[in-house]
Amino acid sequence: MNTGKARSTSARQLGTLLGLLVLCCVLWILTPHFLTVSNLLNVLEQSAINAIVAAGMTFAIISGGIDLSVGSVLALSGIVLASVLQAGGGLPLAVVLALATAAACGLLNGVLVTLGRLPPFIATLGMMSVARGLALIWAEGRPISGFEESFRLIATGRPLGIPSPVLITLVVYGLAHVALAHSVFGRSVYAIGGNEEASRLSGVPVRWHKTGAYVVCGLSSGVAAVVLTARLNSAQPTAGIMYELDAIAATVIGGTSLFGGEGTLVGALIGALIMGVLRNGLNLLDVSSFVQQLVIGIVIIAAVLIDTALKRGRR
Amino acid sequence: MSSRTLVSRRVITIAIALTPLALATTVTGCNRQTTGTGDASRPRIAFVMKTLNHPFFLDMKRGAEEAASRLNVELVVQAAERELDVEKQTQIIENLIQTGIQALCVTPSGSKEIASVLGKATRANIPIVVADTRLDQAAAAAANVKFGTFVGSDNYEGGRLAGQFMVQATGGQAKVAILEGIPGHETGDSRLRGFRDAVASSPGITIVASQPANWERDQGFTVFQNMLQAHPEVDALFAASDLMALGAVEAIAAANRTGKVRVIGFDALDDARKAIDAGRMLGSVAQSPHDMGKLSVESAYKLIRGESVPADQKVPITLVTKTEGR
Repeated sequence: MNTGKARSTSARQLGTLLGLLVLCCVLWILTPHFLTVSNLLNVLEQSAINAIVAAGMTFAIISGGIDLSVGSVLALSGIVLASVLQAGGGLPLAVVLALATAAACGLLNGVLVTLGRLPPFIATLGMMSVARGLALIWAEGRPISGFEESFRLIATGRPLGIPSPVLITLVVYGLAHVALAHSVFGRSVYAIGGNEEASRLSGVPVRWHKTGAYVVCGLSSGVAAVVLTARLNSAQPTAGIMYELDAIAATVIGGTSLFGGEGTLVGALIGALIMGVLRNGLNLLDVSSFVQQLVIGIVIIAAVLIDTALKRGRR
Repeated sequence: MSSRTLVSRRVITIAIALTPLALATTVTGCNRQTTGTGDASRPRIAFVMKTLNHPFFLDMKRGAEEAASRLNVELVVQAAERELDVEKQTQIIENLIQTGIQALCVTPSGSKEIASVLGKATRANIPIVVADTRLDQAAAAAANVKFGTFVGSDNYEGGRLAGQFMVQATGGQAKVAILEGIPGHETGDSRLRGFRDAVASSPGITIVASQPANWERDQGFTVFQNMLQAHPEVDALFAASDLMALGAVEAIAAANRTGKVRVIGFDALDDARKAIDAGRMLGSVAQSPHDMGKLSVESAYKLIRGESVPADQKVPITLVTKTEGR
């Protein structure tokens, strides 16, 4: 039973990966500009921020919840980062405080969900507005910009020819994978999402691990904030609007079930790449942004339809 | 069920999911055949706007297209889904650089944030025309942006025009409210500075409230409704854009104060011109987005051909009022 489930999960990932490859082939045929080294690096770099946020989102969704506050937390965390940098606090301190802010938002989300017994949708909807409001108040509505070159290297650096946001994404996914697939915490997150009551009865510290899932989710928004701020050389209090939907879409396209208990990080990564490749390809083909929204929406719905159909087939 | 059938099902459904992409590309493919006959000698110019769901930018697009067809250049117009989204705009420009464009026209969604990607365009030797919203000098220098020309209206002058008209129309006696655009945007900030400077010399004019409504019509409505609650004495309004002014006009009507609050807007949109004719608005500062689009593409064309272009090109600004509007 266990191996059967594992096999179907990896089969689904293979399916998503095939989807990505088919998409790439289609674009390769349609435009000569797609399959070039510089464009592929370009796509990876553009997908990095969504991929990083989606990594955290995967934890929240597998635990049976959701986090709508990621975009706002990203903005708040970016403003903290920029303020510390501008006040001359130095890069390490700025990054630590930005990540701490994001993690604290996640912690609060987790506490509201577990101790406060709020539905995750409501708790994080509230946090979405609170974090956005704090970012706007702190920054007085204005972007904070202009940083030293050393900080900007986080986005503009090209070690070994690879854009540094891509390397950061890989590190995030590496760490997240260890936490999700090879730790007690990760196994508990799956168990809680699969059947919370059963997990509690079998001695899993449900509140503790569930809160942990939201902290991880907040933390990943913080990492994304560092990358985005370096990329635009500016932290905007209005940054990250709708990022929660992009991250949920990437996670879901990658086969994670919104009902919890199922899903993988590799799936989320491929999902983020599918969205990045779609947007990039549609730009290369001169398709208007109106049509892009239509296409992306249909792809999301289709991906979920597949999963539902597959699950029905398995039963 | 074996994993193979799972995979094949998945592939089939993904193929179905990709159908809209295929459709979209066929549609645009046809477009490209009519506009671009694959003639390599036709220069390819990209115009990346803030948004394409605002009449102002649609006018600009029309002007750009006219110039493009007259000069026989291939024009690609793209915009992010949301006006605020500098990251998306950045991505669009990165992607267009990949397609080998020869010149780039852009209306920056953020005058500082856009500098990074314009640095990339500079490194790719693509001449840049900045339209409508100025680049932040310091950010541009930090990212090594070499931009060919700026095409736009003088927003400060436009704000002054609105301020002078406010003084004249109210006889120098008014309690003024202001609806601001998105804070920190060069365009809105300049308009406000111009307006404030113009009314500063009239002691009878006091600014009692000034709040952002983020360029949006619905926010113009709610923010001004709240302002009327907080400051019932308000009898004049300057909105940094017509969409916000039009929202406020509805709020004024809802409060049964039409005609009692004198509204001056910016952009002279069609709806605003109608409101001016109907006496619901007093006036609006007209920019010429059409000319802006046209001049941008013409400048880009000159830059491609190595001709010189002035660094700063102003598009005329006029005031539209009931008497001279028609």
